Amino acid sequence: MMPARKMAHRACFFVSRTVYLTCCCGCCSALRPRYKRLVDNIFPASPQDGLVKSNMEKLTFYSLSSPEKLDRIGEYLFQKASRDIYRRRHGFVIIAMEAMDQLLLACHSQTLNLFVESFLKMVQKLLESTDPQLQILATQSFVRFANIEEDTPSYHRRYDFFVSKFSAMCHSNHGDKNTRDKIRLAGIQGLQGVIRKTVSDDLVENIWEAQHMDKIVPSLLYNMQSAEKYETLSCMESDGRDGVEEQPPRLAEACLRELVGRASFGHIRSVLRPVLTHFDRHDLWIPTDFAVHTFKIIMFSIQAGAGRGRGRVRAARATVLSNIVAIAAGESVGPSVLEIINNLLTNLRTSVARDSEKETDEKLYQEALINALGEFADHLPDYQKIDIMMFIVNKIPSGARGGAGKATRADAMLQGILLKSLLKVGTTYKTTELSKAFPAAFLEALLRLSSASEPSTRVLLQRILHTLLDRRGNAPHLATPTVDYAELGLTVEKCSRQDLIFISKHGYAIFSSLYDGLQLESNTVENIEAIYTTLALLVIELGSEETVCDVMQLILAIQQSGISNPVISVSQQCQLQAVSLSLATLLPHVMMLPRVADYLNKIVEARREEAIHLLPPVLEDYPHLSPTKMPSKLPFLMIDQMALAECLKACGIESSRLQSPSPYTPGGGISLAHRHSWVEAGATQGRDSLADITAGPTTEMDSANSSPGVQRHPMQNESVSLEALRRAANGPSEMERRDAERRKATLNNAFRTAPFGHLVDLTQPKYEVKDKLEELFNSISEEPLLPVSGSCSPGTQTKSYQQNVPPYTKYFPELFLY
Amino acid sequence: MEDYKFLFKVVLVGNAGVGKTCLVRRFTQGLFPPGQGATIGVDFMIKTVEVDGEKVKLQIWDTAGQERFRSITQSYYRSAHALILVYDISCQPTFDCLPDWLREIEEYANNKVLRILVGNKTDREDREIPRHIGEDFAQRHGMYFLETSAKEAENVERLFMEIAVELMEQAKCKELPKYDGNLGPINGGVSCRIRFFVYIFLIRKLLQ
Ligand SMILES: Nc1nc2c(ncn2[C@@H]2O[C@H](COP(=O)(O)OP(=O)(O)O)[C@@H](O)[C@H]2O)c(=O)[nH]1
Ligand SMILES: [Mg+2]
Repeated sequence: MMPARKMAHRACFFVSRTVYLTCCCGCCSALRPRYKRLVDNIFPASPQDGLVKSNMEKLTFYSLSSPEKLDRIGEYLFQKASRDIYRRRHGFVIIAMEAMDQLLLACHSQTLNLFVESFLKMVQKLLESTDPQLQILATQSFVRFANIEEDTPSYHRRYDFFVSKFSAMCHSNHGDKNTRDKIRLAGIQGLQGVIRKTVSDDLVENIWEAQHMDKIVPSLLYNMQSAEKYETLSCMESDGRDGVEEQPPRLAEACLRELVGRASFGHIRSVLRPVLTHFDRHDLWIPTDFAVHTFKIIMFSIQAGAGRGRGRVRAARATVLSNIVAIAAGESVGPSVLEIINNLLTNLRTSVARDSEKETDEKLYQEALINALGEFADHLPDYQKIDIMMFIVNKIPSGARGGAGKATRADAMLQGILLKSLLKVGTTYKTTELSKAFPAAFLEALLRLSSASEPSTRVLLQRILHTLLDRRGNAPHLATPTVDYAELGLTVEKCSRQDLIFISKHGYAIFSSLYDGLQLESNTVENIEAIYTTLALLVIELGSEETVCDVMQLILAIQQSGISNPVISVSQQCQLQAVSLSLATLLPHVMMLPRVADYLNKIVEARREEAIHLLPPVLEDYPHLSPTKMPSKLPFLMIDQMALAECLKACGIESSRLQSPSPYTPGGGISLAHRHSWVEAGATQGRDSLADITAGPTTEMDSANSSPGVQRHPMQNESVSLEALRRAANGPSEMERRDAERRKATLNNAFRTAPFGHLVDLTQPKYEVKDKLEELFNSISEEPLLPVSGSCSPGTQTKSYQQNVPPYTKYFPELFLY
Repeated sequence: MEDYKFLFKVVLVGNAGVGKTCLVRRFTQGLFPPGQGATIGVDFMIKTVEVDGEKVKLQIWDTAGQERFRSITQSYYRSAHALILVYDISCQPTFDCLPDWLREIEEYANNKVLRILVGNKTDREDREIPRHIGEDFAQRHGMYFLETSAKEAENVERLFMEIAVELMEQAKCKELPKYDGNLGPINGGVSCRIRFFVYIFLIRKLLQ
């Protein structure tokens, strides 16, 4: 019997194809391909009867035995469902979806991928319909799919539509409350599905990208905020109570927990950013219960997430971080600003000590700390930024140059990390006067680091100098040496008297350190270029008749070292020639020196003809250089000291000093002995004309007192003096500590038991540190911390009192409980 | 076999109450809904139309006009092929807000996005914005212009059909922006000090 039927089937197979094209009314179902007949048979005559179970089994069996047919089955089911949606025969649509679900679960095979395409098309089709029932059904199918672990996830699959649509569903405003809740629940479940499907594999779809997070997070929060009251479960587990699945706020909360719990350290920010934006947009900060509720959830979930895996690293980090950022209650010993910085630095240091090359989490963590530092500094007045920078610079190991041994690798890494921190803070600082930006001790420490053994560290150091020196935005134009400045659009202003005093004091030290930096054998092109940029910025920022000879003397010294320093390579010699000529040609762009310009132009032209390798750009290597083209063999292409002095004189500049013996000597080792006392040395080095300027009206220098635009606060003990810095670094004394412990205990206890209104009262007189911090922060910007429209907690407080209470301590007492 | 050949995403923006939802409903469902609530967040509709014998599927994202939903609605601008900016011809303030909307579009949408200005509610007797004023504005800002009435079904079909035709032409000349999931701009305007404290708080608690 069986073979006969098969034969018959075979015989009419060809016919069936052609017939099918003209006849699709179902009358010839016997002639269609087997899989189509099997699919057709699962549909009952009347949709109320539901899926024909026995036929579904046949279809499943067929799919399992001929998996290569799965994609066609999927496509066919999809086509049928599309038609049924169009004809509004929703009963059949539901059956088709159910069949697809069953096939999906039954067929774990390689070919699942192809089937999934039609499956997802089907889900999307249903989601696109306006019928809530179909949308909900589709979501359920999607969730079932999301819970399947695919062997080979399809990397070209995109979930963009699903995120968009599920987020829209989370905002349903269907007229009927019951339906609305169901649609919203479905939306949240859908988002949860997308998260589960994508979170573990960034290649599938990077769910942490802003375009997704900006939809997912507000959708969850919008549902959470509609809860009648906010109960935060203190347990780290997900919500185990009944009925989570039935209430949008609770399901949304569970979903948020899951999202945060799955976020790696580096992804927390991606979640946090839209959370904060949403709170701002919807004015959710006041009253505070929802904010506190939400952030607690985030905290618990992070902890729950962190609990999994990599226990050792996490635990180590946990102990270290537990005392980070001491804004907390009771810890009022010492200047709190610096405590925070100190804490961040200590954590960085510990992290570096733990670091191994592979540990990318550790790197992320360090980055977060550096960013925290930058963010923190960004909110401080400029004079404190300098203090912070000094503080950081003092923590940097100096690299043991000239000392007993080489710097250890850990030292070098710490140097790099701390310099990055310094750069981060430095970029938030806006230089007005150089003497404010570079207090003597700070400058000394910086210059000491300019000879660090690690080339990349030295580059970082120069970058810090760039950001602090560049007041006029010229640095980007001066990234690499050039002799064509005309087109660069440099901004040049006259050098102020204060700056001249600054350079008269420190010029020699700065110049000689940069000079020495150029001589180091380990220099890369990046090092050379970075030092060039620093020098070029100095030329622009300090260009004046008083300094021009000093600058020229340095340039001539660099040129000379590029001929006669026996230690450096020929390539480096060429580089130094390019740098010195580049710097020289910059001078006539800063001030009127027509004769000098003419003279230098001739040299540039001559080099262009005969020795292009002595012009910028500087190259890593100058191969195939014939011995006759070595810089030392081309004295006629060099800037001649006598000729230059003549030109300067012709421009009305007193240039006799140019002829005095050069204070710069290649091979810094010899002059290293007085490296540490150069601050004084600079002034007595015979830099007469510069020293003269100092004799002018005495200006108080190196004082942080008078940063323009920032008023110093009446908080002397809080102000950041060196003494305070030292104290912060060494920690509080034993007595201070005991005192603090006692106060903290009382306060914490009060926080746990006292009613809120009482707390506000309590914090008022005792909380000097926080008050001061608040004062500090308020002085930085006019912008109110919280929207003024927000109602304050009702009570007996008067208006003037309200202004005194730090808003965040008032609104977020919980934030300060720890 | 796909049931459409082109897929375009259209996003409607404009003040609350100008009739965005009604326009979408009229076009996708052929009805003028009586008294539905204001849209919250985003809403979604679909319609497949035919242009030159080819099926074009329009994904229409209808956004809430209120300020507080701005951050989620903005996240939908970025992948739009066409943006319909709607005002109410009988309500001057909705017209006055157009520059603000343009700024927002400028910031968050692709710069190649097709932009259409629509003055809705032409059936109303109490017109406040003369047609030529709207037209001028559209011209000055490089937008297409159309006046519609969702209530009377005037120009609604035409609005979406012209968008479909225009986008299809662009698609054929490959001028259409491709969306490959690049990052949107980071929202600013947040009270940074609150952020800062929460951030510190989180770091602190994070590994406690
Ligand atoms: N007269 C008239 N009223 C309209 C028209 N379109 C919308 N409305 C009304 O304007 C109000 C707001 O419409 P809605 O579509 O919700 O605006 P949306 O906030 O922009 O989505 C409703 O009361 C509608 O009935 C129209 O073309 N003519
Ligand atoms: Mg609406």
